[in-house]
Amino acid sequence: MINQPVTQEEKLLTRSLEGEKRAFMYGNEVVVWAALAAGAEFLFGYPITPQNEVMHYWSRLAPRYGRGFLQTEDELSAGFAVLGGIMAGARCFSATAGPGTVLFQEPLSMAEMMRIPMVLVVQQRGGPSTATVIYSQQEVFLTIFGGNGEGLRVVYSPGSHQEMYDLTIKAFATAWEYRFPTLVLGDGYQAKMREPVTLYDPREKGIDLKPTFPMVGLKGVPGVDREPAHWRNAFSVEEELYEVLKPIIDDFHRAAPSLSEKEEGFLEGVELIVVAHGIVGRSVRSAVRELREKDIPVGFFRPITLRPFPDKDIKNVLTACSRLLVVESAQGQLAKLIRIAIGGELEHSLKMYTYFRPGLGITAEEVVQEARAILNGEREKDASVALL
Amino acid sequence: MTLSNKRIVMGGEGGQGVQAAADILAQAAYEEGKEALYIPNFGIEQRGGVSLAFVQVGEEPIGSPKFKYAHLIVALSGRSLERLQGYINEESIILYDSSLLAPPQVSDEVIGWQCYDTIAPEAFAERRLTDQRQSFPEITSKVKHIYGLPASEMAQNKLHPRVANIIILGATAGVMEIVQLESTKKALETRLENKLKRDPALKNLNFRALELGWEAAARMIKRPVSTGKI
Repeated sequence: MINQPVTQEEKLLTRSLEGEKRAFMYGNEVVVWAALAAGAEFLFGYPITPQNEVMHYWSRLAPRYGRGFLQTEDELSAGFAVLGGIMAGARCFSATAGPGTVLFQEPLSMAEMMRIPMVLVVQQRGGPSTATVIYSQQEVFLTIFGGNGEGLRVVYSPGSHQEMYDLTIKAFATAWEYRFPTLVLGDGYQAKMREPVTLYDPREKGIDLKPTFPMVGLKGVPGVDREPAHWRNAFSVEEELYEVLKPIIDDFHRAAPSLSEKEEGFLEGVELIVVAHGIVGRSVRSAVRELREKDIPVGFFRPITLRPFPDKDIKNVLTACSRLLVVESAQGQLAKLIRIAIGGELEHSLKMYTYFRPGLGITAEEVVQEARAILNGEREKDASVALL
Repeated sequence: MTLSNKRIVMGGEGGQGVQAAADILAQAAYEEGKEALYIPNFGIEQRGGVSLAFVQVGEEPIGSPKFKYAHLIVALSGRSLERLQGYINEESIILYDSSLLAPPQVSDEVIGWQCYDTIAPEAFAERRLTDQRQSFPEITSKVKHIYGLPASEMAQNKLHPRVANIIILGATAGVMEIVQLESTKKALETRLENKLKRDPALKNLNFRALELGWEAAARMIKRPVSTGKI
């Protein structure tokens, strides 16, 4: 299968995805369909629960659509193989979780340095270490700041299968447009649950998936017929590194405002903002809807991009209401991002309450209970947040 | 809001077919155009141990994939019912395989302690000579109804031992009319497509199992059951 040549025609988007198709499927399946629709050509991966089915479904579907698959000996190899494939001009990606995400840091940081548009889907599991194969939101900092360097990555946090599909496609578009590694941060629940999703051909929706091109093995004489293909991740002098790195950092910050995304709701007359991301955002949305039906003035804010963080938007929301509740299946990773985003301006007026359940699912009922307790004055402002 | 959605949690020993049943239930709701979500409770074990499955069905958008309280608790083993304890509240209905679990002791506030069994639809219960059933775990919450269905025995005597979970699925669908029988059949065909292709006789067997469960549920819900604390 891997040795079969991929024809140009086959490279074009799979015919079966023409028009819209409603389906009831697992999150890992959604990832595969999104990657196929986005024109991904090769998956290099190494199995780890709860993302195994990404590899299962892909290796089953790939031959039908003329795409390739290789299981490498570990995640380091998978990551570098993805980079190699992309440098050769193919649209490659991978998926991983937990300890696998740790091993992916080296290729990810190389991608930052060399502007290689790598796409990685992460289905978070419990941590630290092997922990559980089930679920968490503990890989937020790992996906953003896990590498040596400056976290020059885009991280999407989907909260439903539809978003998993939309954002995985978008990850390919973003990566190839801005040439930064782009991650889709799912979790074990989203990976293993089944719910409806509408599949579509991104080209029919006008989504611009930039063409791929080889970065090496180019025709012509370097310096005569073309610029030399000189992609570096090693430098001998400090100044040289700084000279190369500074424009990359500037590019990232320039792109940030157009990349950041969020969802917010029920902000009218709001007295408590509940902030959550990913699957927990769903619990929060249901909880807030329920409280609003009882005329309890609660609203919600959900960052869809964790990197770049929608900092202007959350500042606006928190200027209108300084009381917030951060809900996450981690010990304050999202809360820290919020702290960084709002900076010193709102620090003193802010009343941050927290509901942290590292590695544990959070239901709407819990959020309702917690929000009510805060509004009834039964909860202390979490002074420890600054020292997380 | 999500409270109008139905929440079902099913539990059994690994291999009893709890996940398949829950999966088909959610698929049936999806085929009816409803909001539907299914998630297994998964760990590192591949086989054995207690297996739980969570399903939500309804008209409203679904929030978190797991939940605190279930409207319907379906238990295929004593151990699983112990694990399901936490999902029970006063509004819950418990459906259990009465050929595997002995009837619960009910403490009725008016009558006092008594043993009751929902009469087996096919009067299988009476035929049992020695009772080797697991004892019904103590339930600490009040519940709305408890229904026993001798699914394993019905499967063994009438159809095939392997379709006990499908009889339970039929009853699960019917007991709260979560989904219709026809859409459950359609969903079963969708989910077991490959198996049914290999052995077409399986289709009728499974459909018959669904019907048995559905009909049993229809009879059960006509009879009010006491709601005491167990």
